[in-house]
Amino acid sequence: MSLKLVNFIIVLSISVFMLIGILGIIAPAFHYLPAIGANEISLDPWKELFLAPEFISSIILTLISGVTATFLSLMIAFSVVAAFYDSKILSIFRKSLAPILAIPHAAIAIGLLFLLSPSGWLIRLFTTFERPPNWITIQDPYTLSLIFALVVKETPYLIFVILACLPQLKTDETLKVGRSMGYNVATIWQKILLPMIYPLIRLPVFIVLAFSLTVVDLALIIGPNTPSTFAVTIFRWFKDADLNERFSASAGAVFLMLFIFVIFIIWELAYRLLYFCSKKKLTTGNRSNLSQSFFQLLGSLYFFILISVILSSIILLLWSFAKRWRFPDILPSTWSFRNIERNITLLNDLSFNTLTIAISSNIIALIISLALLEAKRQQSCKKTLFDRLIYLPILLPQVGFLFGIQILFIKSGISGHFLSVIILHVFYTLPYVYLTLHSPYLAFNQNYLVQACALTHKPYKSFLQIKLAMLKAPIFSAFAIGFSVSIAQYLPTLIAGNGLINTLTTEAVTLASSGERKLVSLLALIQAFFPLIVFMLAIWLPKVWTPARLALKHYLYMRFSDSHSYTIKN
Amino acid sequence: MLKLTDITIQLHETCLFKNFNASIPTGEVLSIMGPSGCGKSTLLDFLSGSIADTFKTSGQINLNNKELSHLPIEKRHVGILYQESLLFPHLSNLENLMFAIPETIKGKQRAELALEKLSEFNLADKAHTLPAYLSGGQKARISLLRTLLSEPKYLLLDEPFGKLDKALRQEVREFVIAQIETIKLPTILVTHDQDDADAMGGTLVQLTR
Repeated sequence: MSLKLVNFIIVLSISVFMLIGILGIIAPAFHYLPAIGANEISLDPWKELFLAPEFISSIILTLISGVTATFLSLMIAFSVVAAFYDSKILSIFRKSLAPILAIPHAAIAIGLLFLLSPSGWLIRLFTTFERPPNWITIQDPYTLSLIFALVVKETPYLIFVILACLPQLKTDETLKVGRSMGYNVATIWQKILLPMIYPLIRLPVFIVLAFSLTVVDLALIIGPNTPSTFAVTIFRWFKDADLNERFSASAGAVFLMLFIFVIFIIWELAYRLLYFCSKKKLTTGNRSNLSQSFFQLLGSLYFFILISVILSSIILLLWSFAKRWRFPDILPSTWSFRNIERNITLLNDLSFNTLTIAISSNIIALIISLALLEAKRQQSCKKTLFDRLIYLPILLPQVGFLFGIQILFIKSGISGHFLSVIILHVFYTLPYVYLTLHSPYLAFNQNYLVQACALTHKPYKSFLQIKLAMLKAPIFSAFAIGFSVSIAQYLPTLIAGNGLINTLTTEAVTLASSGERKLVSLLALIQAFFPLIVFMLAIWLPKVWTPARLALKHYLYMRFSDSHSYTIKN
Repeated sequence: MLKLTDITIQLHETCLFKNFNASIPTGEVLSIMGPSGCGKSTLLDFLSGSIADTFKTSGQINLNNKELSHLPIEKRHVGILYQESLLFPHLSNLENLMFAIPETIKGKQRAELALEKLSEFNLADKAHTLPAYLSGGQKARISLLRTLLSEPKYLLLDEPFGKLDKALRQEVREFVIAQIETIKLPTILVTHDQDDADAMGGTLVQLTR
C-alpha cells in the first residue's frame, strides 16, 4: 500500500471522525436524537439554553477566566523572555519548563487546591489561625483561583513556544542593530521583537485561549461551583440523569464552539487595533520608550509560578505519606505508608489502565505521524490537508465534541472498552506527536538514507537502522509529549470509558473535592510521576543509546567470538 | 579618527587578539581578513560594545579622542551591517528608515527625510512595501541607508556582502564604497573575500588562527 493511500485513509478517517463528533452534537441541539425518540427538529433546546438561570453568569465567568488567564500568561511569558533574555535566570527558567509541562494540569490543580484552600498549606505557614478561616480562597465566585491555576499551567507553555521562535528572528543581531541606533533593550523588545514574535505564536495563543475557555477538569477542581464556568455547566447537563437535559447541553456545546470562534475573532481584532494604534509610536524615534524594569517586574511573576508548582508538588508528597495532619500543624504529626498499602489494588489497576492507554495510543500516534511525514516528504514537503486539520482536535471544545462521538461509540458497541478510549487518546495525542516530529523529520538529510539504501539494497532496514535511529531524539521527545498529553486526558477517558475504565486522572478529578486528601494526593502524585519519568528517559535515552548498544555488541563479541557460534553483523 | 590601542581579547585560555593597534582616519576603511573562527566578528563585537561576558577584554577605543570602551552599545553611535539585512519584517521600508532617524527630528519631517533618502537611491517606489518584497540588492541598500540615518560616528561591516551573488556583490559593494566616501566615516570591514578587501582600498589586516 503506497504512503499516499495511507495518508488519504488517515486524513479521511480523522475528517469523518470529526464530522461525526460535530454532527453528533449539532443534531441534538435541534432536538434530533432518534436514539431516545426525539425525531422532530425544533429550537426548544436553544430556548431552554437561553432561559437557563445560570446561562449568562456562566458565560461571563468563562469569558473573564479564559481571556484574563490567556492575557496574563501571554504578558508574563513575553516579559520573562524580554527581561531575562541571554541571562542565567532565563536558562534556569528554561530548565523548569519541561517538568512543568510534563505534570498534568489536574495534578497541579489538586496541588494548588491543597495549597490555597482555607485549611491549606499557605494559611498554615503564614498565619496563626487555630481553625481554618472562613475565607473563599479556592473555587471563588470571581474565578481568581481558576485564573491562577490556568496561568500556572499555560505560562510555561507560552515561554517554551516563544523561546522556540527566537532563533529564526536573529534576536542577538536585531538587539545589536537596535542598540547601535541608541534604543534601550526594553524598547527594542517592545517595538521590534515582540511584534515579530506574536504572529509566529498566534496559533499557540489560540490553543491556550481555547483551552482556558473550555477546560472542564481544572475548573471542576479549582473553579467556581454555583454558577460554574460554561464548559462545566454543559458537562453537568450532559451527565444529568434526565436525558432531556442532553438537548440543552448539546445546544450549549454548539453555542460554546461559536462562542470560542467569536472570541478568536475579537481577540485578533483587538490585537490588530492595538497594533494599528501603536504603530505610529514605533517610528517616533523615542529611544527609551519603556524601561527594562517593566519587563523585569512582570517577568518576575514567573518566580511565583515556579514556587507555586514546587510547593504544590511538595504538598502532594506530604499528604501522600501523612498519617495524621491536623490544622494548624505545618507538617504531619505522624507519617505512614498505610495510605499506599490500603489502596495498593486501586493504584495498581489505575496505573495499569493509565499506562496501557498512554503507551498504546502513543505508539499508534507515532506510527501515524511517521507515515504522514514520510508521505509529506515525498510530496516535496507541501502543506497538506492534514496540516490544517491537525489543529482542530486541540481547538474544538472537548465537552461538546466528545458527547457527539459518544453516540458513535455506543452505536458501534465499543463504548466502555479500551479500544474506544485508545481511539480518543490517539485523536488527542496525534497533533502533539505530529507537530513535535514535523520539523526534525522534514529537516533530516535524506542523503543518509539514499547512501544506506545504495549500500544495503534494503530500504526498510535502512529506514529503521539509519533514519529512525538518527531521529531517535525527536522521536523520544514526541513520545514523551504525547505520553503526558494522554495521561492528562480526563473527558476523553471518562466519555469513551463510559465510567467502566478509570485512570489516575479520572479518579483524581472525581475525588478531588471529596475530602479524601490522602488518596487524592497519592493519585495526583503518581499521575505527575509517570510523565516526569518518561520525559527524563526521553532526554537520557538518546544520549546513552549508541554507547550502550556498542558496549553490548562489544560484550557479546568478547563473550562469543571464541566459540565461533556468534558472528558480529554490522 | 578611530584609534584602537592595545586591544586584547581572550576566551578562557585562548588569546584571540593581543595588543592589536590600528588607526582608521575618517572616510577610510580597515579591512580584516581571516579564516572562520579566528575572532574577526568577536573584534567587531568588542568595538560595538556588544561582546559577551565570557570574553576577557582590555584596550582602548578612541573616537576623535573620546574613549568609548566603557560605553554601552547604545551610547557609542556605531553603525553595524551584517550579512543579513535585518530589516524589521513587520515595518515597511519607510518605517524601517524612520525607526533609525534620531528623536530630535520630529513629526512629519521624519517621513520626509526617509522618503527623500529612498528617492536619492531610486527606491521611493518601495517606501510602503514590506522588506520581504525587496530583492537582495535592494535589501542591502536600504539596510545601509537605515544604518546611516541613525547618524553613526563609525561603521562596522561584518561580511555585509557575504550572502550576495557575484554580480550583485559588486554592485552593492560599489554602493557602500560610494557612501563611505561621501559621509567620511572611519570603517572596519570584516570579510572572507579578497575582492572585497581590494575594492575597499585602505589598510588590510590578515589574521591567522
